Amino acid sequence: MLASILASGLAVGAIYALIGITYNTMFATSRVMSFTAGQLGMLGGVFGSLFILQFQLPVLPGLALTLLAAAAIGVVTEFVAVRPVLKSLDQHLYVLSTLALALMIQQVTAIEWSTEPRPFPRLLELTTAHGPWDQKYWLPVVACAVTILGLEYLYKRTLVGRAFVAVAEDNFAARALGLPERNLRVASYALAGAIGALAGFSGGQLLLAFFANGPLLNFYGFIPVALGGLGNNRGAVIGGLALGLFQQAANFTVGGIFSSVAVFTLFIIILLAAPQGLFGAAPQRRV
Amino acid sequence: MPISAPESLLVVDRLEAGYGKIGVLHGVELTIAEGEVIALLGPNGAGKTSLLRALSGLLPWSGGGASFAGRDLRGLGPREAARLGLVHVIEGHRVFTQVSVADNLLLAGYDLPRADRMRRVEEAFSFFPEIAEKRAEKGGALSGGQQQMLAVAQGLVRQPRLLMLDEPSAGLSPVLVDRVLGVVRALQARGTAVLLVEQLIEKALSVADRVYALAQGRIVLQAGAREADLPHRLERAYFGADARAPLDA
Amino acid sequence: MDSAKPATVFEPPLTPRAGLLPRAVLPFLGILALALLLPFSGNDYWALIATRAAIYWILIAGLNLVVGFAGQLAIGYVALLTLGAYTASVLASGTVTPEVPAFLALAAAAGIGAVFGLVVGLPALRLRTFYFAMTTLGFATIVTQVALAWQDVTGGGIGITGPAMPPPFDTAWSFFYLCLGLAAVVTWMTGNIARSRFGRGLIALRDAEVAAEASGISKPALLVSTFLFAGACAGFAGGLFAGLQTYITPDAFTFELSLLFFIAVLIGGRGSILGPMLGTILLTLLPEIAAPLAAWSTFLYAFLLLVIVLAMPGGIASLLDFAGRRPLPAHRAILPRAAALEALLPARPEAAPLNLAGIELRFGGVRAIDGVDLEVRPGQVHGLIGPNGSGKTTTLNVICGYYEPQQGRMALGAAPLPAGMPQKRAGLGIARTFQTPRIIGEATVLQNVMVGGSIQGSSSFFATLLALPRPRAEEKTIEAQARLALAAVGLEGLAEARADRLQHSELRFVEIARALMLRPAFLLLDEPAAGLSAEEIRRLGALIQAVARQGTGVLLVEHHADLIFDICDHVTVLNLGRVLASGTPADIRSHKEVVSAYLGA
Repeated sequence: MLASILASGLAVGAIYALIGITYNTMFATSRVMSFTAGQLGMLGGVFGSLFILQFQLPVLPGLALTLLAAAAIGVVTEFVAVRPVLKSLDQHLYVLSTLALALMIQQVTAIEWSTEPRPFPRLLELTTAHGPWDQKYWLPVVACAVTILGLEYLYKRTLVGRAFVAVAEDNFAARALGLPERNLRVASYALAGAIGALAGFSGGQLLLAFFANGPLLNFYGFIPVALGGLGNNRGAVIGGLALGLFQQAANFTVGGIFSSVAVFTLFIIILLAAPQGLFGAAPQRRV
Repeated sequence: MPISAPESLLVVDRLEAGYGKIGVLHGVELTIAEGEVIALLGPNGAGKTSLLRALSGLLPWSGGGASFAGRDLRGLGPREAARLGLVHVIEGHRVFTQVSVADNLLLAGYDLPRADRMRRVEEAFSFFPEIAEKRAEKGGALSGGQQQMLAVAQGLVRQPRLLMLDEPSAGLSPVLVDRVLGVVRALQARGTAVLLVEQLIEKALSVADRVYALAQGRIVLQAGAREADLPHRLERAYFGADARAPLDA
Repeated sequence: MDSAKPATVFEPPLTPRAGLLPRAVLPFLGILALALLLPFSGNDYWALIATRAAIYWILIAGLNLVVGFAGQLAIGYVALLTLGAYTASVLASGTVTPEVPAFLALAAAAGIGAVFGLVVGLPALRLRTFYFAMTTLGFATIVTQVALAWQDVTGGGIGITGPAMPPPFDTAWSFFYLCLGLAAVVTWMTGNIARSRFGRGLIALRDAEVAAEASGISKPALLVSTFLFAGACAGFAGGLFAGLQTYITPDAFTFELSLLFFIAVLIGGRGSILGPMLGTILLTLLPEIAAPLAAWSTFLYAFLLLVIVLAMPGGIASLLDFAGRRPLPAHRAILPRAAALEALLPARPEAAPLNLAGIELRFGGVRAIDGVDLEVRPGQVHGLIGPNGSGKTTTLNVICGYYEPQQGRMALGAAPLPAGMPQKRAGLGIARTFQTPRIIGEATVLQNVMVGGSIQGSSSFFATLLALPRPRAEEKTIEAQARLALAAVGLEGLAEARADRLQHSELRFVEIARALMLRPAFLLLDEPAAGLSAEEIRRLGALIQAVARQGTGVLLVEHHADLIFDICDHVTVLNLGRVLASGTPADIRSHKEVVSAYLGA
């Protein structure tokens, strides 16, 4: 049982962590928390199933198309729900605009795809590994590791990545310096789209291609962000894995429904005790 | 106000700008010639920073106009302005603390071709050997004065035709102030125009060709930097002509 | 130096149009009349739809105070409807407890709703907007899951019968009348709150939180009352909903319903009651009218939400706000009236000074204030000047309790003034204005000023809900004073205008009027002349002097040197967080160091 808890805990934890990174990637360049993060994860599963099972594409082109389609949705998010409300960030209109867009994405998926969970393909032709070593458990973990390493490379080694860091740290100074802040923001939304979809794609065999995964991923993917502090990707990974393990342990011991109550209660308690997250910094004063 | 002509690099004509409902600039007129160093003086809240922001495209205009090297600046953002050679070093040495010193300069050259970028970064470093030594360290590891130099160096990477410096001396020790102003002289020698917002009037006058004084969003005085009795005239310009001048006391 | 020419005799401004109130009530009466006529249609299906709309409105009316007035993005209110429905059903069915009469079960549902309304709302006191939205969303998910899982009590997926209404409410139309009557009562109650200092306080917390704090409005107390009331409404509506459905399963409480509630408020318009009511009716009818679109209803709601946010932030209410679009007089001037000021601020007996001694404040390693001493005497205008970043506004914020200094003492006379707790300053007679006016743009100028009188009311939320005589009398007093304060600053002609239509300079005077509502012993002004014309600055100066003549001590942070030197009795110059000089304007004017620090010469 311990092996099962560890395997499934790390797997869902990695998915949550990836959604958390999706939130962070969008937040970094725009200071906006977008409700579309979970929907991007949901779409990763739906697109994957669509391209590979329905259209019979091989896995790699299927993955590429999935990431591309989700990146396009990320860009749409920036144009439709983020850019128009950036001028008045303090009114928090983005909560409403991104919520609206997220619900529209979800409803279109429900109608055009299915309201029932549909199967997601096995991605690798492996027959040797079973039980806790099944690909459905380690694929999300690998995806999460690859994403983190990729982002580290991007932010540390490339000029465009450092431009992201600069815009995230001081948007005004970045603009004054002549950095293409708007393009960078759009790019970060595309990147977030791809990361979110990767979460759903790599975890597709666990979550299936199901329209209602969006809100769940939204909530469980947000918890790592709240734990790790806004914009802190490493914090999100630690928070995500911890959440996954806690949730699966509760699942196996007290049952699914009450484990979600336990997660919610713990979430509220931690938020109230440490509103800035466990690795976050204190907010600035507003006078 | 004489808007003399072809050799004028920057021409500002009755420029108005503000934040939301609050008007800050009320018809500012000013010209800068190629290679000229101008000191922009004025009390707090006069609109000096806002004027610089309006010119570099960080603050939208509500009236009037401005042109740079014959190009209308209306609607241009900082990126386009920088491409024209109008570069703004904002106040408060806001360098990026989480990337390295060298990366701070590379970012300033984000738009430039790759080969040019490295070369210009090295040129900018040559003005400030003390930060060139720390090129691998994070921007946040520099002292306030070094950050200010880095901010100026960021402006130099673009090889501006007009460099606008907003209070580069703020928070710097006198030695460092002279270092920064020395750079202004060096730029002047190379034919780069500089618009310098400065609190330290005497220091500013020592490098400037001409001065403009701004008070309550309007230019209230324009003079050559070597003209006699400038401090008195400045003070009268700020406080109104009928005020008793404290420097007489 | 010339002060305001005293107006001959001050006539109190007229309370405009005695018929105003009934006119505001007319649309509600119209809707009620239409609803009362519905049974004559003879179509029982309409009874179902109309009852549903009335029940939804009972919940939305409460939610309106949370979302529309307080601006808290509570998107999961269906959870409270669910709780209320199950509470009423379980109690009335007698499967777990002894059987409870239907109305008692409804009351219990309201009670449970209130308790959980508070529990879900509490995070709003600490968390940022998005976090709060997320927790209410999470709560909605959890409640449905528990309803499914707790089979012994809720019947799980099979469900449970709703409470049966006793006669005479056991027919479709009589139950409709019951719900309609309850909806009318709830409307009246929320109207009472909306028009009171509580309603203004909620809007102030939403749009100008810092100003609300400075006016002495306590965010926790106000939000707790509001969450309790909204939760009770939601729980009660849940009980009625179960009665209407006759049989409930967790499927009946989809997130779509939550969305309907939330969007009804936003379509209606924030800070309005009529708007959300029309929004509720519209959204309840929409799926009925557009039956083929039923599957797309969530999409439609979401699309509407997006359109409203991006294109019509004022909602229906702003479309109906004809008065708000009436042009304001074009050539208007701000003409402060000394007589009104004297009526508002009776000359106060010689009071104790406000003292700061050795104040030090650090942010991390940066010393923002480095040992400041300051004494503001009653009846004097005390200027505070200095270069940018010298600590002027920070000093104001220390006095107002926004920052807690690491060192130093503050005192009002002999009594120490404790650091922190900005919302307690109003009660101590310390009022202030802000560098950027903190104004509720969507409220009228009069309401903005009345926010400043919040601490004069002492009647409870509950008494106000029921419009008892005392809160009504208090309202009258506050309004009369607000009109006086507006006359004092010279803006009485704009009392009924929406504040966001005023010019910047007028907003500065509105802020002063709001601050004067406290009849402050000390008035702290943060760059009041910024953005004013020369003539307006002259009038501002006269007004400030007139305020000081009534015995109020004024602390004036300002860049306009001429204003400072014209009207101040005493000037303190700060530089780099320290006092550089302190003395009469004449001393300061001839102080070489000051001139060099201030002018940089």
